[in-house]
Amino acid sequence: MAAIALDKIDRKFGTVHAVRDVSLEIRDGEFFTLLGPSGCGKTTLMRMVAGFCELDSGSIRFGARRIDALPPHRRNTGMVFQSYAIFPNLSVAGNVAYGLRARGVASTERNERVRKALRLVHLDGYEDRWPHQLSGGQLQRVALARCLVIEPEVLLLDEPLSNLDAKLRVEMRYEIRQLQQKLGLTAIYVTHDQEEALAISERIAVMRAGRLEQVGTPWEVYNQPANPFVADFMGVTNLLPGVVVSARGGRIEVKIGEALFAARAETGAAGDKVTLLIRPESLLLLPAQHGPPPNFASFEAIVARIEYLGVLTRLDLDLGGVTVRVAVLDKAPDHAVPGGRVSVGYDPARAILFPAS
Amino acid sequence: MTMLRPQSVFPLAITALGLGLLGLFFVYPLFTVFKVSFIDAQAHITLANYAKILSKGFYQQAFINSFAIGIASTIGTTLLGVPLAYCVARLPVPGKSAVLVLIALPLVLPSFIAAYALVLLLGRSGVMTVWLQAQGIPFRSIYGMPGLVAVYMLTLYPYVVLPTLAAFKAVDASMEEAGQNLGASRWRVFWTVVLPIVAPSVMSGALLVLIESLENFGVAFVLAEDRPILSIEVYRLFAGEVGSNPASAGVLGVSLILCTTSVLLLQRRYLSKRRFATSTRAAPPIHKVGSALNLLATVFVWGTVLVALVPFFAVLVISFLEFRGPVMHGNFSVANFQDLWNRSSRPLFNTVFLASAASLVAALVGVPIGYVVTRFRSRLSHLLDMTAMMPFAVSGTVLGIGLVVAFNAGWLILTGGWLILVIAYCVRKLPFNVRASSAILHQIDPSLEEASINLGFSPVATFFRLTVPLMLGGVVGGMVLTWVTLAAELSSTVVLYSGSWSTMTTVIFQALEGTGAGIASAASAVLILTTALPLLMVYRLLRKHQLAVL
Amino acid sequence: MNRFGTTAALLAAVAGMVLGADAWAQNKRLVVYSSNESTLHNLVFPAFQKETGIQVDAVEVGSGVVMRRIAAEKDRPQGDIVWGLSRLNLNNNKEFLAPYRSKNRDAIPAEFRDADDHWIGTNLHLLVILANTNLVTPAVEPKGWEDLLAPRWKDKVAVTEPSNSGSAYINLTFLAAKWGNGKEVGGEKLTKLLQNTKVVNKSSLIFSGVGTGEYALGFGLEYAGYLWKTNGAPVKVIYPADGSVAVMEGVGIVKGGPNPEAAKQFVEFVTRKDVRELILSKTFRRPTRQDLDLTNLPGGLPQLSAVKVMDYDEAYWAKERTVALEKLQDLIQKTR
Repeated sequence: MAAIALDKIDRKFGTVHAVRDVSLEIRDGEFFTLLGPSGCGKTTLMRMVAGFCELDSGSIRFGARRIDALPPHRRNTGMVFQSYAIFPNLSVAGNVAYGLRARGVASTERNERVRKALRLVHLDGYEDRWPHQLSGGQLQRVALARCLVIEPEVLLLDEPLSNLDAKLRVEMRYEIRQLQQKLGLTAIYVTHDQEEALAISERIAVMRAGRLEQVGTPWEVYNQPANPFVADFMGVTNLLPGVVVSARGGRIEVKIGEALFAARAETGAAGDKVTLLIRPESLLLLPAQHGPPPNFASFEAIVARIEYLGVLTRLDLDLGGVTVRVAVLDKAPDHAVPGGRVSVGYDPARAILFPAS
Repeated sequence: MTMLRPQSVFPLAITALGLGLLGLFFVYPLFTVFKVSFIDAQAHITLANYAKILSKGFYQQAFINSFAIGIASTIGTTLLGVPLAYCVARLPVPGKSAVLVLIALPLVLPSFIAAYALVLLLGRSGVMTVWLQAQGIPFRSIYGMPGLVAVYMLTLYPYVVLPTLAAFKAVDASMEEAGQNLGASRWRVFWTVVLPIVAPSVMSGALLVLIESLENFGVAFVLAEDRPILSIEVYRLFAGEVGSNPASAGVLGVSLILCTTSVLLLQRRYLSKRRFATSTRAAPPIHKVGSALNLLATVFVWGTVLVALVPFFAVLVISFLEFRGPVMHGNFSVANFQDLWNRSSRPLFNTVFLASAASLVAALVGVPIGYVVTRFRSRLSHLLDMTAMMPFAVSGTVLGIGLVVAFNAGWLILTGGWLILVIAYCVRKLPFNVRASSAILHQIDPSLEEASINLGFSPVATFFRLTVPLMLGGVVGGMVLTWVTLAAELSSTVVLYSGSWSTMTTVIFQALEGTGAGIASAASAVLILTTALPLLMVYRLLRKHQLAVL
Repeated sequence: MNRFGTTAALLAAVAGMVLGADAWAQNKRLVVYSSNESTLHNLVFPAFQKETGIQVDAVEVGSGVVMRRIAAEKDRPQGDIVWGLSRLNLNNNKEFLAPYRSKNRDAIPAEFRDADDHWIGTNLHLLVILANTNLVTPAVEPKGWEDLLAPRWKDKVAVTEPSNSGSAYINLTFLAAKWGNGKEVGGEKLTKLLQNTKVVNKSSLIFSGVGTGEYALGFGLEYAGYLWKTNGAPVKVIYPADGSVAVMEGVGIVKGGPNPEAAKQFVEFVTRKDVRELILSKTFRRPTRQDLDLTNLPGGLPQLSAVKVMDYDEAYWAKERTVALEKLQDLIQKTR
């Protein structure tokens, strides 16, 4: 178990700049996620930690030890692959014992540790099964046991859940997190699924085109995105183009469509073109003839569309050329009908301004 | 640039070793043979020899004939092989497993023996010619271009059928269903969906047919009669009794290599753009067809398979006929086998030993090379890939002469023993071994190897501990195919073998050349049975791993 | 399965095979490069071993390959004996041969041995016409080369491609000289002859072809005709009334070969009278020695003196080979 320090890592593949000047500190025992769209460099970065990809420049340390010149088989990382990479020619026990053989662990101890590892992933008694007899979820557990049994310094998970069905995915991510916490492992988790990242991580690094866009806790990257890209990538949101009307004492008014929005921001002057971010669930449909709660701002809009999604209902509101999305739990209030006018309240602290791109 | 890492030492070492071996045992010997064609009487470098030879009508005709035969055979074999593969893969043809075994059998019969048997059957006074003529069928004889093309089609069709068959079976049923769902007829789906997917497999098989028919010597030597054929002219100019002319031979040899290599390059270019990765989830279904259509398919499949085996069975029958001296008489007799029995068993031992040693070494060299060119793409490994494919394009005679000239004196002397034969065999079979192992590797997820390295085994240890066992089935299949074709090797053996290292094929060849057709047929029977047995024994393995990559 | 056990077993098997191969080896051996055919070898080599205890390793290849090999191996010869090469080829490769004066030398006319004993002639091939008696009735049977020009033999006469066969080259240039100005390939008669021919790639195809009826007539060698005839094939040997050529084959010792003493014994053996008689009886090779009564031996070959043998300017046609071959090939292509 070790803290991981990535310092000024850079790598080009021909003309493609896969990783640009990435510096990161991952704490000992932390569950850290690299999140981003495909091709953003997250997998490359993880493979650099594992040793499967060389660095053009920069360094990687586990604790105080610099490891980026170490061949991959001497780094003592445990990696779970997207395709599981279960050796088809070995039984379940053979797969789990594989890394122990590489470490020259004597057979009695080896058997004991294999048994323990399988118990850990709830596969007791599966020692003599063959990979082709197992389901996807079971293969996933074998892959996990195979990594855990060698007591790696770092656990690396490369989109490990993407081949599982939705229900199993939720179950497994919880299990992985439990195991990681129980064993106190430092884990790097690569995914393109923001929900998964939010659910499982202690901290998330959002990447784009080889660069870190933002590093923070799930709450931070979701609620205080560093830029519109992060905001957009973290889920359905409103990114509304507007112009600053007035700026006074940290409170800024922005005209969006025909409505006026309030936001808290330190900088900005009248006339600036901006993008205003506000999450659909931060918007509150006010009951008919009700004003907003204290400290809330409000605006009025026409209901353009209503989508009932079960847990919540989504409304598209028209601000005169600009669409705002609102999410409400359960169903929409009765007075909200397509073509009707509604009042929407919100906490200006939840509205974030970015300079227009 | 990046610094040299320990993990890149392994592929680099193999690349260096591979290029070194090929350089020493392939490029250098060929260079010793071909350099005379670039040198004039004053020892200046010149292309005059090329201008002179290639402007001669006779040799131009040889080029035209060879390529006409080669292209016609390739097209014919494809037109025969693809429907046949389709019928076996997708129609309820009876006796499929037997068909699958029988299709591979022509591979074990050396072509010069097939030619001998065919003349006895279909020559001007052949048994079948006489019978056909008695039925009023105006069949003249098998000599000439149409005969050659027909013989190549029937002896080389396994090269197209086997990989195409595998490809047809690998087409995911859902793709066809998708095509039909989009409103295309089954026929249209076949043309627009299925055929493009199997096209790369068909092409690689067709390429083998083209090269084999350009290179083939044994059949053309007998059946071409007086038409100039490139491979015969090369042999004649190299080793003719009267007219040997190394410079001219070099010109033709180099030209032939250039032609075949450029075809090879074109094919690889084409394939590199169109590698359809189809992961089969659902095996394609057997079509239900009307009984008339099925009968037609059955007749077509079984007819082709059996006709192709005619030379094979003819040899077996002839071996049990009485021979007085060179003259065949129509009585049953086991005298040929008695004569053979009284002779030394050494040639049979030699064949088994040389083919075994060579297929083992070819695998030992070919598998790591295949591994490196597949898993570690770089400019250097690409060079290795191309060089390792080149022996495909070089005839055995030329390679043999090169090896003799290069290794008879100096710091490395190899002539006169078994080693030089093993080397020649390995070089000749290296392209197949590299291709085969590369194809096997394409079916193995690279993350398996990464997982092993990640778990603590070094890349070298991973290769031996994980990759080799995973490849083993395919590699063993490839070794058996190598073994079988080497047991039938003649062209380089004739040039390289020395006293005690004669093989079954040289014995057969000499007996046929001389007046011992009886012994020759008995020896052929022994040879084809010896080689057919291991082929049949591992056939399941072959079908699983190998036939797709022939 | 235990990997190391498998590997060890495999290595042991290979080692066993190599050692086993060596067990075949005996102390006394001889390597013969021969362009003769295996029937002759199977007769001579066992007899030689029985008498001398020397085991013969034969490399049986065409004379072209024999010559390529002794030239390629000149710095470290692998063979002891070349056997079956023609006089022309032997003379052309004299530099690779060691002189040896055989005890049988004097039984052989001077024209059939080298003046400084680099080689010695063993047997003569007379150029003859072979006829399939089922296809060629006595009434129309050609008596000589001229008769082959008749239109009735169109596509019925087989001849070997002259660049593949020394005897075919001699036969065609002999006819060219006889019918032409003596110095050049061409002329009306040669063209007419070639128009009637099928050109095959090796002589054995002519022997078997005439024997089985593939071809009605063929440019052949004397021994083959008798061999097929005696074994029951409908073959007749026609000694051309307008002249034959005696093509000599001989034996020589490779200079610097590994077993020089055994090589000398072999030369003595294959030129000895009783051995020649054995060879004649079984394979109908006409000996160079003139002290055998052929007519009373199997086959009943005529004595050399009874056959019309013509002179043939071997040296000239050897020198002209490249040009003459090219012209012959052009002529062959033109008459297809």
